[in-house]
Amino acid sequence: MALLEVEDLRVAFGGTTAVDGVDFQVDQGQVVGLVGESGCGKSVTSLAIMGLLPRRGATVSGRARFDGVDLLTLPRSDMRRRRGSDLAMVFQDPLSSLNPVVKIGTQITEVLERHRGLRGEAATKEAEHLLDRVGIPDPRRRLGEYPHQLSGGMRQRVLIAIAVACAPRLLIADEPTTALDVTIQAQILELLKDLVDAEGTALLMITHDLGVVAGLCDEVNVLYSGRVVESATAPDLFALPTHPYTVGLLNSIPRLDLPIHEPLKPIRGSIADVIRWQDGCAFAPRCDRVTEKCVEGEPPLIGASHFHRCVMAEEVA
Amino acid sequence: MLRYTIKRLLQLAVALLGLSLLLFAWFKALPGGPENRMLPDNATDQQREALRQALGLDEPIWTQYGEFLSRIVRLDFGSSLSSGRPIGTELAERLPATIELSMWAIVIAVGVGIPLGYLAARKRGSWLDFTAVSGSLVGICIPVFFLAAMLKVVFAQELAWLPTAFRLSPGLAYTEITGLRVLDGILTGEFDVAWDAAQHLVLPAVALASIPLAVIVRITRASVLEVVGEDYVRTADAKGLKPATIRGRHVMKNAMLPVVTVIGLLLGSLFAGAVLTESVFAFGGIGSFIYQATTERDYPALMGFILVIAVSYVVLNLIVDLSYGFLDPRVRVRS
Repeated sequence: MALLEVEDLRVAFGGTTAVDGVDFQVDQGQVVGLVGESGCGKSVTSLAIMGLLPRRGATVSGRARFDGVDLLTLPRSDMRRRRGSDLAMVFQDPLSSLNPVVKIGTQITEVLERHRGLRGEAATKEAEHLLDRVGIPDPRRRLGEYPHQLSGGMRQRVLIAIAVACAPRLLIADEPTTALDVTIQAQILELLKDLVDAEGTALLMITHDLGVVAGLCDEVNVLYSGRVVESATAPDLFALPTHPYTVGLLNSIPRLDLPIHEPLKPIRGSIADVIRWQDGCAFAPRCDRVTEKCVEGEPPLIGASHFHRCVMAEEVA
Repeated sequence: MLRYTIKRLLQLAVALLGLSLLLFAWFKALPGGPENRMLPDNATDQQREALRQALGLDEPIWTQYGEFLSRIVRLDFGSSLSSGRPIGTELAERLPATIELSMWAIVIAVGVGIPLGYLAARKRGSWLDFTAVSGSLVGICIPVFFLAAMLKVVFAQELAWLPTAFRLSPGLAYTEITGLRVLDGILTGEFDVAWDAAQHLVLPAVALASIPLAVIVRITRASVLEVVGEDYVRTADAKGLKPATIRGRHVMKNAMLPVVTVIGLLLGSLFAGAVLTESVFAFGGIGSFIYQATTERDYPALMGFILVIAVSYVVLNLIVDLSYGFLDPRVRVRS
């Protein structure tokens, strides 16, 4: 049994559907990517799994089984006990994600106290150890400092330290490197990889960056308009991208081996040009290979180990 | 934090110097100098000139300012032109009443305003929120003296639940220590005095608290609504912390920052309201004294009053700024 099984997850805000029947799995110790452009529903998916969507305004349905227990129907107090201990999350913007008026030390020890019952000097020692583990020099001094006294990369390391403080079995990282500059990005990814390798933690990596996926992930799920359009192991996906959206994403990556003046190849249109999945492929309005067949009802997920949701795929290949 | 404090203290000295200059210039610019007030209308020009010399009004302006400054530093504001008693004594007798009244007003405003503002934000859109928001609008709009008079008519005169005027019931023996009568009553063990003084304080303090209370409710509500949407509150939630920890450490600690600033500003305007409230309830603070001084052109009294108000305003603001530095570590580093 997989550690996390997400089945037919749907999230709507009022009349707007953000996630429209997402299915995927994360196995013990596996690194799984959730890839897509802004607005495809990847962050909302992660917040729904964590139970962090606003109570009012968001309608969530489907199942997200963690160890066989459906997180979506768990009482709020039980979910609160699991958050931060069984499953933890690293957010996108490290500055706004840390409380500006609370010391770094407190922001780490409060989670140790809550889930591991550590207090006083024991908690401080453990916090120091955690900062050391995420590669922050002089951790004892940093515990007494405030977020604005740290650099962006260090703040993200602090957030990672908080997330791994209680040895979660699943870590969700929502674009953890987007707000950082390129050299720091590589360090943070390296750190995440080391931590999950060392602990056997499963990692759900939410990103729009296929480079991150290639370097980190075992499995990849490509999301488009709130639904998985392609799902495969990372090597398979890069070797044989099948859905035209995945192909478009890969083609749009700037490449160093092409002439400098070669124009970039974006996917035409925008994510706002969609049709409902019930009526056909949501990507059809932007697809170069679109045919009548694409808009004749809901496209099924096709395949055995490498899944895709394109009715024209055989012809594409 | 020490450097921040020293810097704020220096700023305070500069502010006070500027204030003394402004005050001096203002009194110089007023028509009808003090000699006209002190002499009868039929005094001769020679008599007026003689008095001007005696008061030092013929000296160069900078000498006069120097003299003015050295006197206020020694807290010597001269004598009241009306009563002939030293201004310092007059103010010292009346100040405790005003301080006690303002103190209770701000305690009510903060003690009720912050919880109410918080609840309004958490129960956004509920009847409680609606009542708090519209009630605070009414609170801001009603003039203090009108509210004071209405409270007096309803609760003191018609219902007779509370006394109509003064600080203590007549004939009650009272031992003075601080001049704050509720506190004194408790300190000396004269609990009947404390209870009686508290009853006398209820209506004026509520009237005076109305505007600050309304402002604090609104600012707290707006501030809490903003903070609960911040990323760091979501992080706290993602840590699975208990709701009480999230509320106290992550929401309120941040939401209080603008509220503290506003409280500082409100404290200053509280004195103006106190003058009006005191006159309605014959409370015997500096309010009635200053009303009299104004109508009688009692310049030394006015000068002393303005100085006391200005200094307390500046000092209160310093305290607010320091507590702000204590609450927000970013302020400490920036300075």
